Amino acid sequence: MKLKYAYISGSLLVVLFIFMVRSEAVETFPKPQGPINDFAGVIDAQSRTVMDRLVREVWQKTATALVVATFATIEDNDPADYANRLYQTWGIGKKGEDKGVLIFFALKERKIRIETGYGVEGILPDGRVGEILDRYVVPELKEGRYGTGLLSAVAAVSAVIIKDAGVTLSGKSSYHQASQGQRKKSGNLFSLILMFLILLVLFGTRQGRAMLPFLLLMALGGGGRGSSYGGSGFGGFSGGFRGFGGGLSGGGGAGRGF
Amino acid sequence: MTRGLKIFLIVGAVIVVFLLSLYGFFKGTYNNFVTLDESVKASWAQVENQLQRRYDLIPNLVETVKGYAQHEKGVFTDVTNARARVGGAGTIPDKIAANNALSGALSRLLLVVENYPVLKADQNFIRLQDELAGTENRIAVERRRYNESVQTYNIAIRKFPANILAGMFNFTKAAFYEAPEAATAVPKVSFGE
Repeated sequence: MKLKYAYISGSLLVVLFIFMVRSEAVETFPKPQGPINDFAGVIDAQSRTVMDRLVREVWQKTATALVVATFATIEDNDPADYANRLYQTWGIGKKGEDKGVLIFFALKERKIRIETGYGVEGILPDGRVGEILDRYVVPELKEGRYGTGLLSAVAAVSAVIIKDAGVTLSGKSSYHQASQGQRKKSGNLFSLILMFLILLVLFGTRQGRAMLPFLLLMALGGGGRGSSYGGSGFGGFSGGFRGFGGGLSGGGGAGRGF
Repeated sequence: MTRGLKIFLIVGAVIVVFLLSLYGFFKGTYNNFVTLDESVKASWAQVENQLQRRYDLIPNLVETVKGYAQHEKGVFTDVTNARARVGGAGTIPDKIAANNALSGALSRLLLVVENYPVLKADQNFIRLQDELAGTENRIAVERRRYNESVQTYNIAIRKFPANILAGMFNFTKAAFYEAPEAATAVPKVSFGE
């Protein structure tokens, strides 16, 4: 019977090992700090306040996540590719619904791009997005008014989304507090305790020690599971805006230089 | 319990454990192959959606450009022929090759456009060009995701000891979608003939 226990705990260890390896993910993008991510520091306080309020209300009333991200530089990256990977990493919009828009700005490269999620491609076709950029956004950016330009982008995109959803904006939003995010900690603690117990059984008993080489062999054979994309989601830490739910974009939208 | 029975039980237990872990290995690996194979197929379907989208866009684009640049016949013929080839392609490598040729023909068409400022200012054309650029970008995105899933699958079926199982059940390597040279190279602009 002891052998069986050792076997079971050994398999558990192997399973745990696989999970631990899988959860290591490469993260090259900064984490979102809410709907407005002004990493380049180009948005003035007033534009920012208006944008923030607008975006939160659009999120509440239409469940469409509008996110702004500005970067000082994107190095050698292609803006369209970078924006799409950023969209995927942040997971803008709810998973499966993919209703989200990323307004992406690179200062040094002088590029603006509006990236549309799968779920809004119908109401925001590329031609229309390009028109919004040409008409309201690029003229402002060319004059160096980045805050106003980005606000215009947010306002124009919001107008389309709001009109399609058939709702009206009040100008004020009452967002509820986030309570997620703390639940994850207890899961980690649990697996730590479990691992400790398994190790105790493995090294503490003679049968356990005898099983080790065999278990190691099994662990070597069972590695490597399929990967899946879709974003992990960053729910809960941005003060009521839960627009990072694992949404995906297929690369729709339009970009311009300014 | 006699000594013989004891040995028999231990040997039996070892064999059972061995068979169980062998079964576990087979089942896990095989099911993993199936999952990965399906995800390659699903991501290829997404690529095809976008290729089809471009295919549908082209007649409209060609008509609009023709309105301003009738005498650039060679370019239109190229695009039309390349498009026809895409329509006739059957296997995945064929489709990839045909679409790469179409990408080349399209980029030549867009180069010609540079010589017609009036066309470039046409609102209808700007929209079409945005749609085409968006479609090219969608193709690039889905191509990247397809290649990622192909890579995961190919690595899985080639790794030891899973490769033995892959050989037994005939899981073969999937083809990558290589980006066409013309799309990555900077197009050469020539003035006049």
